[in-house]
Amino acid sequence: MTGRRTNWGEEDLIAWILGDLDAGAAQALTEDLAACPDLRERAAEYRLLNRSAKGLREGPVIRWRRFDSPFGAMRVAASPTGLVALSWQDESDDAFVAGLERRYPSTPVVGDADRLAPAEEQLTEYFGRRRPRFDLLVDLTTLGDFQRAVLDAASGLDFGEAVTYTEIARRIGRPKASRAVGNALGRNPIPIIVPCHRVIRTDGTLGGYTGGLRYKRTLLDIEGRTDLLGSHAQTEIPLA
Amino acid sequence: MNEWSERYGGELQRHVAAMLGDAEEARDVVQDLWVTALRARPETGRAANVRAWLYRVATRRALDRISMRRRRSALLAAHSGDLGSGSVPAADAALDRLSEAAAARVRQGVAELPPRQRDAVWLRWIEELDYETIARRMGSSPEAARANVYQGMKKLRRDLADVWREEGPI
Repeated sequence: MTGRRTNWGEEDLIAWILGDLDAGAAQALTEDLAACPDLRERAAEYRLLNRSAKGLREGPVIRWRRFDSPFGAMRVAASPTGLVALSWQDESDDAFVAGLERRYPSTPVVGDADRLAPAEEQLTEYFGRRRPRFDLLVDLTTLGDFQRAVLDAASGLDFGEAVTYTEIARRIGRPKASRAVGNALGRNPIPIIVPCHRVIRTDGTLGGYTGGLRYKRTLLDIEGRTDLLGSHAQTEIPLA
Repeated sequence: MNEWSERYGGELQRHVAAMLGDAEEARDVVQDLWVTALRARPETGRAANVRAWLYRVATRRALDRISMRRRRSALLAAHSGDLGSGSVPAADAALDRLSEAAAARVRQGVAELPPRQRDAVWLRWIEELDYETIARRMGSSPEAARANVYQGMKKLRRDLADVWREEGPI
């Protein structure tokens, strides 16, 4: 038994909170805390901090995950309620995370390996033409009413179905707003899962797609709608 | 202003010191009072009114200090009392109020940590994963993951200093 430690530092207090101390050290620190008001006061802030752990665990958090896809590095993010973002356009993890931080300024955005595994799995199956329907919840609560209505309407479209911007405008009760519908779909934060690629123009051409029309062509190709692709020079993305 | 502090400073100092039982803290209160007086002096110039007003403000400040002290010590008791003795029910009630008020700030503090620290702190502190697992998830070594956790916890405590301070002077 060595002499009693009295020089507990900040790292020791953190280790104590986190349960990183071995049993002997934890016991010694606990005894010193009982005996020493100064140490107790220094520990109090960490105890206060630790007191909030349960609330943090149960409260809002945004988790995200990166995986490889035929479209390149794909990143998905979810709130406790459902998916909030899907992107293959970001140059880096940092750029994707920064976007989430702007959208959720007071919610921790945390990397994750497990929780979003089903999203990765289902998307991989979709790209492999083995999954026509996603079994995933989405969370559109940060969006405006109009955009949410548009995305809800798009979510109602089945695999292989394609309707016009005008039709979506009609379905949400804003028949004259087909251009605004196009804009709202263009800012869809969860493409593929919320299938904005199934919305096309009245003249049968594909309209636009954020990040590039070849993605839209590829998605429609996956869904067997080669009839919509015409003999356009732009090629689809190889899926294998 | 100088005139007021020369004229009433001594008696206010004694008055506040008697309330607080602490000359040092009384000096703080009275010094603060001159700053306040500068910003919010009463309209009237009549000396008697000024003196009454100064006493009123000084008394209120002293009472604030006393109630902050009580809350602070209840808080400290709640967080350190259960180490040796049992926890204090009254102090726990005070603590719950703090938790509610501070929870949003703590969440904000975590949200504002640098991404690596934030991930590491969350996985260790909130999810209670071991460093091997955290390292695998973050694509780093256990040592690096551990360093990220500790840096993050330290930063969190420092960034939230005003949350702890709002509960009263240490």
